[in-house]
Amino acid sequence: MQIQPLHPLFVGEVSGIDLSKPISPEQARQIEAGMDQYGVLVFHDQQITDEQQMDFSRNFGELEVSSQGEMSKPGELRLAVQMADVSNLDEHNQVRARDDAKRLSSLGNRLWHSDASFRAIPARYSLLSARVVPGAGGNTEFADMRAAHDALDAKTKAEIEDLITEHSIAFSRAELGFDAFPAEHQAKLRPVRHRLVTTHPGSGRKVLYLSSHIGTIVGWPVPEARAYLRDLIEHATQRRFVHAHQWRVNDLVMWDNRATLHRVRRYADMAEIRDLRRTTTRCDGPTAEQVLAAE
Amino acid sequence: MAINIRELHPSFAAEVSGIDIGRPLTPNEAAAIEAGMDRHAVLVFRDQPLTDDQQIDFSRNFGTIEVTLARQMAKPGDARLREEMGDISNLDANNRLRARDDARRLYALGNRLWHADASFRAEGAKYSLLSARVVPGSGGNTEFADMRAAYDALDAKTKAEIDDLVTEHSIAFSRGELGFEDFNSEHSAKLNPVRHPLVLVHPVTRRKSLFLSAHIGGIVGWPVPEARAFIRDLTEHATQRPFVHAHQWRVNDLVMWDNRTTMHRARRYNDAAEIRDLRRTSLRGAGPYVAQCLAAE
Repeated sequence: MQIQPLHPLFVGEVSGIDLSKPISPEQARQIEAGMDQYGVLVFHDQQITDEQQMDFSRNFGELEVSSQGEMSKPGELRLAVQMADVSNLDEHNQVRARDDAKRLSSLGNRLWHSDASFRAIPARYSLLSARVVPGAGGNTEFADMRAAHDALDAKTKAEIEDLITEHSIAFSRAELGFDAFPAEHQAKLRPVRHRLVTTHPGSGRKVLYLSSHIGTIVGWPVPEARAYLRDLIEHATQRRFVHAHQWRVNDLVMWDNRATLHRVRRYADMAEIRDLRRTTTRCDGPTAEQVLAAE
Repeated sequence: MAINIRELHPSFAAEVSGIDIGRPLTPNEAAAIEAGMDRHAVLVFRDQPLTDDQQIDFSRNFGTIEVTLARQMAKPGDARLREEMGDISNLDANNRLRARDDARRLYALGNRLWHADASFRAEGAKYSLLSARVVPGSGGNTEFADMRAAYDALDAKTKAEIDDLVTEHSIAFSRGELGFEDFNSEHSAKLNPVRHPLVLVHPVTRRKSLFLSAHIGGIVGWPVPEARAFIRDLTEHATQRPFVHAHQWRVNDLVMWDNRTTMHRARRYNDAAEIRDLRRTSLRGAGPYVAQCLAAE
């Protein structure tokens, strides 16, 4: 197994491994070490089934059920609940209509975010496998939050070191004017708390833990917090910290949500199919103490 | 002394020297400045100590002064300056620093989002003129982005896609983005969205520009989340560093910009400890540019 860097700061391309077969503990350790170093790993030409994707993912922790899976009724899902459906298809494999609520909610993925940062125990790795890709557009972009932290000036680093943020899926969706959450899922919208600056357990590097799911900073007036977070996200997603992944069928990309932000770019989703499938593993614990009101 | 205009950036923004704008302008001087605005979209005048009256007189060479929305919504006795002067400061009516949770301060934080002034009015705005009376020791720059260059740099497919789109603008959208919604119910009519074309043609130069603003909350005929995601992408494109000029304020700077061809934003400064007293006059636009729907003003 070999890893070649794809960007001066992060992102490696892995070759010499077949993800459709069980991997050895040594290979799993090598991949984890690669994740600690690169934050994002790209595997090309990996034709895998959902089962194989889940088996590979379980090498890196417990799988989480996607919030989409949690908030859907049985029969509304195209895939198993551990497979987040990152496609523009409904349960009958039809392209979703322009005003489909699931389509509109998923447009929130076009904002820079860290997966499941709205959970008290957020996502560790996300693994995204491309089964069908559009002819143009639909890239996934990644940004290196370790490099973004390193590049802050000393004054800003000191200012943000101990700040606590509040995350909710409702914040990122409201940014785009989406609020059609079913009443029975209101509890899932409750904000959870995270540190704005975390230390990555694998690399020991400090990380800006940003996400469009952040709605405020504890102790700050909301508009001041949001204006500041926008400034930080703008800083952290400058082109020099960003790698754009252009999808090919059978790519699998895995990223560390504790070290990177990502977003999807626009494509002609009324005319072309983009069928990507995501598995997600959980972090070991919360980054900050939760208040009683939170989950 | 003849007016001299020196470019500050490859595509826009220029510094004007050789003129005292505290005195009445000759028609030729006013025409030269207006021509400079058509070409450069942002003009910077250094070392121009102005009274409010002088700023108002200078501004009137270029159009009709509009009272800012913040002033229209302010309670009597809450204003520090006369009505024509937009108060772009962190001071209250008693010249004290505003408290951290002061609603007027939180409202003003919306100026840190890229916007065109008064795009939430059907008639839009022509020029804004901002005069620096007190500036902080660091931070608080105003950044400008050239919406003509941003339009020119779009690919042909995107240009064709957006050419006929109509957007909806409201002050409530930009404030809502930051979680501010503390509007007095008596002003709710001022929050009604107005419509503008997404692509404007400048009346003099005939150049096309992207008419973007944080006040945009939707595109007519589009689902709201799709519209907002697309407007964000366009704003990101249009505010890339090659299209941006940062103005670092000195006392007695006056900067004027054309809201039809530029966006701007304020950057953060230590507003709890330092005074930043800038005063703005704004000129009414020549809109509406498209038909308004019945619900709008």
